[in-house]
Amino acid sequence: MNQWDPISVVIFENLFSSVAEEMGVTLCRTAFSPNIKERRDYSCACFLADGRMIAQAAHIPVHLGAMPASVRAVLDRFENWSPGDLVVLNDPFLGGTHLPDITMVSPVFADNADEPAFFVASRAHHADVGGSSPGSLPLATEIYQEGLIIPPVRLIDAGRSNDALLDVILRNVRTRRERRGDLSAQVAANRVGEQRLRELVARYGYRETLIQAHSLLTYSERLMRNTISRIPDGSYSFVDEMDDDGLDSTHGASPIAGSPGSVHQKEANSGLCGPQVRAEITVEGERMIVDFAGSSDAVEGPLNAVRAITESAVWYVLTCLAGPEMPVNSGAFEPIQVIIAKGSILDAGEPHAVGGGNVETSQRIVDTLLGALAQALPDLIPAASQGTMNNVALGGHDPERNAPFAYYETIGGGSGAGPASNGLSGVHVHMTNTLNTPVEALEYTYPIRVLRYALRRQSGGRGQFCGGDGLVREIEVLCSATLTLLTERRRVPPYGLRGGACGTLGRNELQHEGHKHRLPGKACIRLEAGDVLNISTPGGGGWGTPHR
Amino acid sequence: MILGVDVGGTFTDLVLLNQSGEMRIHKLLSTAHKPTLAVLQGIADLGAGPETKVVHGSTVGTNALLERRGARTALITTSGFGDILEIGRQTRQELYSLYPARPEPLVPGRWRYELPERITSRGSVLAPLDLDAADIVAQQLHAEGIESVAVCFLFSFLNPSHERQVRDRILALDRDPCPSVSLSSEVLPVYREYERMSTTVMNAYIAPVMERYLSELEEGLAGRHLRIMQSNGGSISARTARALAARTALSGPAAGVLGAFELARRAGCEQIITLDMGGTSADVSLCPGQVQETSEGSIAGLPMHLPMIDIHTVGAGGGSIARLDEGGALLVGPESAGAEPGPVCYGQAGAQEITVTDANLCLGRLDPDRFLGGQMRLDLNRAESQMQDFARQMSLPLRAAAWGIIRVANSNMERAIRAVSVERGHDPRNFTLLAYGGAGPLHACELAEALQIPHVLIPAQPGVLSAWGMTMADIVKDYAQTIMLPAASADPARLQKVFEPLTRRARAELEVEGWGEDELELAPALDMRYVGQSYELTIPFSLQHTSHSEDVPSRHVERFHAEHRRRFSHASESEPVEIVTIRLRAIGAAARPEFARRPAGSLDPSPARIGYKQVNFADFGSPTTARPFPSALYERKQLTPGNMVLGPAVIFQLDATTTIPPGWAATVDGWGNLLLERRGL
Repeated sequence: MNQWDPISVVIFENLFSSVAEEMGVTLCRTAFSPNIKERRDYSCACFLADGRMIAQAAHIPVHLGAMPASVRAVLDRFENWSPGDLVVLNDPFLGGTHLPDITMVSPVFADNADEPAFFVASRAHHADVGGSSPGSLPLATEIYQEGLIIPPVRLIDAGRSNDALLDVILRNVRTRRERRGDLSAQVAANRVGEQRLRELVARYGYRETLIQAHSLLTYSERLMRNTISRIPDGSYSFVDEMDDDGLDSTHGASPIAGSPGSVHQKEANSGLCGPQVRAEITVEGERMIVDFAGSSDAVEGPLNAVRAITESAVWYVLTCLAGPEMPVNSGAFEPIQVIIAKGSILDAGEPHAVGGGNVETSQRIVDTLLGALAQALPDLIPAASQGTMNNVALGGHDPERNAPFAYYETIGGGSGAGPASNGLSGVHVHMTNTLNTPVEALEYTYPIRVLRYALRRQSGGRGQFCGGDGLVREIEVLCSATLTLLTERRRVPPYGLRGGACGTLGRNELQHEGHKHRLPGKACIRLEAGDVLNISTPGGGGWGTPHR
Repeated sequence: MILGVDVGGTFTDLVLLNQSGEMRIHKLLSTAHKPTLAVLQGIADLGAGPETKVVHGSTVGTNALLERRGARTALITTSGFGDILEIGRQTRQELYSLYPARPEPLVPGRWRYELPERITSRGSVLAPLDLDAADIVAQQLHAEGIESVAVCFLFSFLNPSHERQVRDRILALDRDPCPSVSLSSEVLPVYREYERMSTTVMNAYIAPVMERYLSELEEGLAGRHLRIMQSNGGSISARTARALAARTALSGPAAGVLGAFELARRAGCEQIITLDMGGTSADVSLCPGQVQETSEGSIAGLPMHLPMIDIHTVGAGGGSIARLDEGGALLVGPESAGAEPGPVCYGQAGAQEITVTDANLCLGRLDPDRFLGGQMRLDLNRAESQMQDFARQMSLPLRAAAWGIIRVANSNMERAIRAVSVERGHDPRNFTLLAYGGAGPLHACELAEALQIPHVLIPAQPGVLSAWGMTMADIVKDYAQTIMLPAASADPARLQKVFEPLTRRARAELEVEGWGEDELELAPALDMRYVGQSYELTIPFSLQHTSHSEDVPSRHVERFHAEHRRRFSHASESEPVEIVTIRLRAIGAAARPEFARRPAGSLDPSPARIGYKQVNFADFGSPTTARPFPSALYERKQLTPGNMVLGPAVIFQLDATTTIPPGWAATVDGWGNLLLERRGL
């Protein structure tokens, strides 16, 4: 199908993207939970019948590679399709990423054909899917503690809803009504996508639509090949390190380590080696091989990534290199081969816990890849950004409102400096881009008071150009509460480049009865009324030797 | 006599109306270095007398923001939160970029002052304002030569006392010149500290610029009555505009949509999609029976949460540049050739890059001798030779390349129209496309075709619709106040009381503008949500003294459930609801001129025909290719009501060119508008 038309390809790019975007708007509009509506933690995409992605509307880069993986898993599992079918899944080992991300895939029949012409998929981060703590991101050692696992199953069979399955799902989550609303919103999004693709075929004809979909893949592939060919041939390796395996710092698997006074204190750089992420990037003309050999084995804690996450990180980095004009689709990733050892922290298997692979390990993979590319493209690649999402969850019972409360958010930090500019300060980097919660919304809703929300001055690595500064968020709890922290870059700092200094390490502190205690990077502890939590996020790395 | 004056980047447009609706228009080049020059010159040219009421939309505020040429501005906020202005919502603008950009805050770190004070989320004082510290800051402002100050404390919308105390301290210093002070509790007393702070800072940043500009203008107007257009489609007195400068920021485009809607309503269309295509971009807006507003807009990448007409902008205009990227695809815009160097056919030195205007010229849809009423000759040879080179790069014939540029530009606009219609649950097939701006009427029918929009309306004067819209503008003032009240405890009496300060203020302020109590209309509304949600719906509310029957408190709650179901397809009657913000709009209706509707005469448009030529349109059955059609050419001025023009045809006028593709027909209505319909072949 090689009928290149420089005009139609652009027009169909607009058309397919509109389909994905309209799915996204439908999902956002009809969803129930703030996590989808306000933080925009969802993505939608259109696929060819063979599973290749044609267009996507994404707000969260970590979904980039994960969507095609879901469709691939669904195509492997099911052969016969009927109009009105819809498959749901969240199984990280069968097309998912971590359990809160639930994906729905449905076929699109067009032109009276017996086989699907296209597929559409929607993915959303659900605020709770059961498991041992609210929010379903506990400091777990097995996936079974993280929530309900849904392998690819038909939620709707030829238009007939499988209510028994829905009942089972809803019986296993904490916030049933909200889940039902969000799941219906995903179904609505898929239905809109199917309808719009059918209209597209009706307007332009099946053959033309298919030709242009393939052209679109060819177009992105060509842009990606050009991008890769600008990287000098050769092999470039880099290794970066996680702080720990996600459990070390709480000393054992006990999720609650006692009152603040008894928190185990551990000095930074105590000699402990955390899990390593190692990558070798080989460039040969227009092709690239990314080999993660030598990366650590899967760990006991929840920092394991599945293959889809690792691929997402690779594709994110290459998409950034290609520039904003390249339509994001499977064609772009044709020239890139990704090699990951099964059983490693980057392609973990059952029964490992994977909740943090999505939010933390994905960031370290990006840091590693950029570190390798910096050797090939020293005048282009920035130093490391904060490299963490600083996940903070607080929950308990609010005596004033006489109701349970659960507060979750992620905190921005510094981005890395580059050869022409300082990093940005106080911003979400790389694999996420979710919004903060306004101070006035927090204090109105939860028994907490924000004492400070400020840039963490001088925390960016010095350099000819300086890394962006991290943030300080200081929160006083007004009643007793359980705190869960899942943060990184508390031991191994974001690297600088070309003589630029590392970004300052992040730091978690607790002020209890007038005394300050250092908290570990990962923790689950009990707080008392009046305790003040101080999260200082990492600065970005500096670039170039500082001017004197 | 009423005069609308729209100062744009290239032209200053004036529309003068007398009581009987007779209209005179004037267009002259803007004087960017001193915009009042063109305004006053235009007024003199039209001979508008001292009795003329002038309604003015100005880009002075917007330009100050875009070009960062505002006042030397400081920010005063609660201790621990001075960086919020820089942190924003902690997001980056581009998802896939190694170097994501973020606009610099309008106030640099050294002028962001923090003061010890704290108000709780219930509005009580947790820590009193440190007055000594406030005095020290006031002195520092003076020492730094600060021209304007924004004050934004946490929860000041619940308790503005600390912000007022700070203002008193600054004014008490009594130094000359005294900085202008903007309080967040007055500019936007609504919750979410970053957006409130950003809006207040923008107001402070442009207030002195606006002050200087308006003083200059008022002097030149020598006593003529002056009103200033706002981005919400209403107007305010020059005095109010000085204090609330941020409300005027996007007045030009807002007046365009207002004008489009008023014009369409007269022509019998209530549901329109507006398309304003100019030189660098196209603005689209959806009006499903009314002009739609948003309170979540932004300017120059910074949030500005005052009510403004909801307009979606895409980088597709006559000057948009076409280029072939390294993947071999033809891209059009968002880069624009602007006025300098302009499209190739303008013939200015340095103009090398092919634009949408050049493509239209090569296809015969523009006439080299009739552009801007013949004031400017277009260089067809130069455009063709440049297009030939461009086409060769794609191995396409010249015509196919030019047609490709039009199709890609249209496809970008189609996507924008889909975003405001289909993606918000509206079917474009139920709408009329109202196209204006210099280039809108050139592209309207083909866009309508792609979206299956059945009707297109082209105003009599598509190039001055914003200035015309200004003459239609009511006095509109918006008030808002966050109250955070459980709906269950908000009975009508209580709400009445909560609204009282707002209604009192509205009445007093409209009286100053010259509107008596019974002449003004009050439109109250409530922003409501389910407890725990983080987004609100605005629900109209009635302040009428209804009987105190039991069911009244729940009426607005019922409306909220219904609206939630309509917008989001679900609702939950058992969930607790809260009222986050109350809103009040005060409207003083402007006296609008009556426009005489001329009776329909002959169908035959031939008296207006000025010739024939070959013009390229989409080929039948194969819209991806264009071919020449022998087309009739008309002079718009000579067309009279009732005339029907069958496509293929082109209609020329001073400020725009309208194409009528084969299969379409245009009828001239009683106001001189063109109503185009698809008739089939």
